[in-house]
Amino acid sequence: MAEQIIEFKVQRYKQGQPAPTYQTFKTLCDDNTTVLVALQDIRRDQDGSLVLRHSCHHASCGTCGMRVNGKEELGCVVKVLDLGTSTVTVEPMRNMPIISDLVVNMEPFYDRYNAVGMPYVRQSEYLDEADLAEGLEAYQRYENCIECNLCVSGCPIMGSDELYLGPATLAAARRVIEEPRGVPTKPLLDWVDSENGCWRCHVAYECNTACPSEVYPGDQIMALRRDLTKRKFRGLFGRGGKG
Amino acid sequence: MPDIQPTTDKARPKSSLKAWFHPRGRSISTIAFALNRLTAIGLTLYLFLHLVVLSQLLRGPEGWNSFVSIAKSPIFLTLDVILLFGVVYHMFNGIRVALVGMGVANQRQKGLFYGLVGIALILFVVGAVLIYTK
Amino acid sequence: MASFHAVIIGGGGTGAAVAHDLTLRGYKVTLVERGEVTSGTTGRHHGLLHSGARYAVKDKESAVECIDENMILRRIAPGSFELNDGLFVALTEEEANYSHEFIEACHECGIPARRLSAKEVLACEPNVNPDVIMGVQVPDATMDAMRMPLRFFATAKHSGATIKTYTEVVDFIKRGNAVSAIRVRDHTTNKEYEIGGDIFISAAGAWSGKIGDMVGVEVPIRPSPGVMLAVRGRLCNMVINRLHASGDGDIIVPQRALSVVGTSSWVVDDPDNLGLPRDHIDMMIKYGSELIPGVRTAPFRAAWSAARPLIGPRGADTGRELSRTFKCFDHADEGVEGFVTITGGKATTLRGMAEATANVVCQKMGLEIPCGTREFTLLPHTAYYA
Repeated sequence: MAEQIIEFKVQRYKQGQPAPTYQTFKTLCDDNTTVLVALQDIRRDQDGSLVLRHSCHHASCGTCGMRVNGKEELGCVVKVLDLGTSTVTVEPMRNMPIISDLVVNMEPFYDRYNAVGMPYVRQSEYLDEADLAEGLEAYQRYENCIECNLCVSGCPIMGSDELYLGPATLAAARRVIEEPRGVPTKPLLDWVDSENGCWRCHVAYECNTACPSEVYPGDQIMALRRDLTKRKFRGLFGRGGKG
Repeated sequence: MPDIQPTTDKARPKSSLKAWFHPRGRSISTIAFALNRLTAIGLTLYLFLHLVVLSQLLRGPEGWNSFVSIAKSPIFLTLDVILLFGVVYHMFNGIRVALVGMGVANQRQKGLFYGLVGIALILFVVGAVLIYTK
Repeated sequence: MASFHAVIIGGGGTGAAVAHDLTLRGYKVTLVERGEVTSGTTGRHHGLLHSGARYAVKDKESAVECIDENMILRRIAPGSFELNDGLFVALTEEEANYSHEFIEACHECGIPARRLSAKEVLACEPNVNPDVIMGVQVPDATMDAMRMPLRFFATAKHSGATIKTYTEVVDFIKRGNAVSAIRVRDHTTNKEYEIGGDIFISAAGAWSGKIGDMVGVEVPIRPSPGVMLAVRGRLCNMVINRLHASGDGDIIVPQRALSVVGTSSWVVDDPDNLGLPRDHIDMMIKYGSELIPGVRTAPFRAAWSAARPLIGPRGADTGRELSRTFKCFDHADEGVEGFVTITGGKATTLRGMAEATANVVCQKMGLEIPCGTREFTLLPHTAYYA
């Protein structure tokens, strides 16, 4: 079993402090230790004031989004020794107000994301050859998006224009338009068809790279553009209004 | 649907230009994006420069001839080569952006990048050789 | 009524539900949590909404609690579950024989249980071990371990409860024999301050032993961790259980695009130091692939430990023998007033635990206010951050 002492360079910030600083900790990691567990070990053994978010530990809740060696990651699924660096730099996500240390304020995320009103369950597309068990209408599963904000952190447009709806919200809007489940789609299409909506994207595809949960927001934004282009053409030829 | 309000939280980092050109932890697609922005700015500046140059024509044959002699200097040729890069890169990456933007091949945007920008680079090299040797 | 101030320690599912319940009963509520909400055990379990079938034979009390709360949660938290039912599958003759006792016990507890032939099992769940002999369908479901409790937090917050995250209790302040305030440290500012209150409720789960030590009362709690393994790909739509008395690696919970295999059981002293025994991960792969052979070949996503808060004497050794029910301790019995502990239980019964706790609190305060949470539809989880 490989074991190694790894140096963690962690961005620290407490409210009232003028600017964030970096602090270095050393901790023992084996080949199962994730960045999240290493940070929890540091908090337990070295500095109880280290503030971080975490919950499920298996990439299902989306709370432990952070930047590991500069890249947007969920700390719970990145194994420290797989990074291959003797110093691991850990910073909070970009483009969001920092609350403390590695925790950002998620309100700006939910301000837009909630407006979409995406239902949280969808029909399961897995094992669609299976018979339905008695008493069920359809096999269900949760939507892919785990609201981790990593796509928003990676997006270069989000960094320059904070009014942009952003990849997560646009991807959610696209899911509703694809499968409305009772949510009206016309207001949503109008909403994303604006300068701060899907046309604001400049195709850097960082959201696709950052997404840990197979949402691929970049593809969804492009699909929205296709939907909107179709709608515009239909409108030109007098077959609009279907929305 | 709601309008998005700017956050008043001072702790939100502000970094317009840095956000576009910051390469750390980012992938090839951001480089494509950043180059597209750079070449766009360059081409816009060039457009104005071009108008200034063309306006020399208003000053009669002498003005134009003196410009042509500058235009044959090696420094100016190098500027031409840079311009050529801007044109071919922006054109071919623009084709990629348009294609994925129409939902065509958006799963293959990286392949498109290497393919189209590859063609752009070949055209650029050929063009640069022609500019210097002609 | 005079508005009493209740201070809850611990921002897991139990704390969330207690905050919601007491807010509805008219209390002024403040909840403190040293990290993010649901950062302890709550967010980390495999996400099973129990039908109670697992406990029907040996622990009827827990089984009945589960099926009651299962049905209530479906009603008050619509849209928060993957409602695909569960299957208990028998892989040996012994397990098939056990099914008679099992189904009978389920029916006694009011848990719908339907016998399926091997062919029916495989038609519904083609990835299940083809050697399956028979199965039993029960109303299990999948929950999002973090987002379901978050609905309680969201609702409590919008009804006026104050939720202070990253706020750790460092000391208890007593007046005479009664707890009168807690001293807390806000980790986002590194500042300490006091929060006074009329009643203090420890909902710290596996950490309630530590909180009890700070107050000077004995809370018989054993942090009993289990290892879980998540693999990529959804290998089943229903929750797949092994049809036998509770054991290691006997459940696969599908969740989003993952399959979660659980779990093992041992006991530790420090809930902050669980470790992740390698042999337990191997055990999850071994036993998990007996249920669904695809577990062995599916790509690894994550392995982790979570500490159950089991009630029991400190001498217990594996945790399997401990009951899964919950208990509310009024420490007045030990001479400390103004302090109660709610612990034990499981995610499925969080609302019921809160109801019992709030009843104890009301009784201590000399109030008679009925519980309102059974019919109160919760806000969506996203309302917590907005």
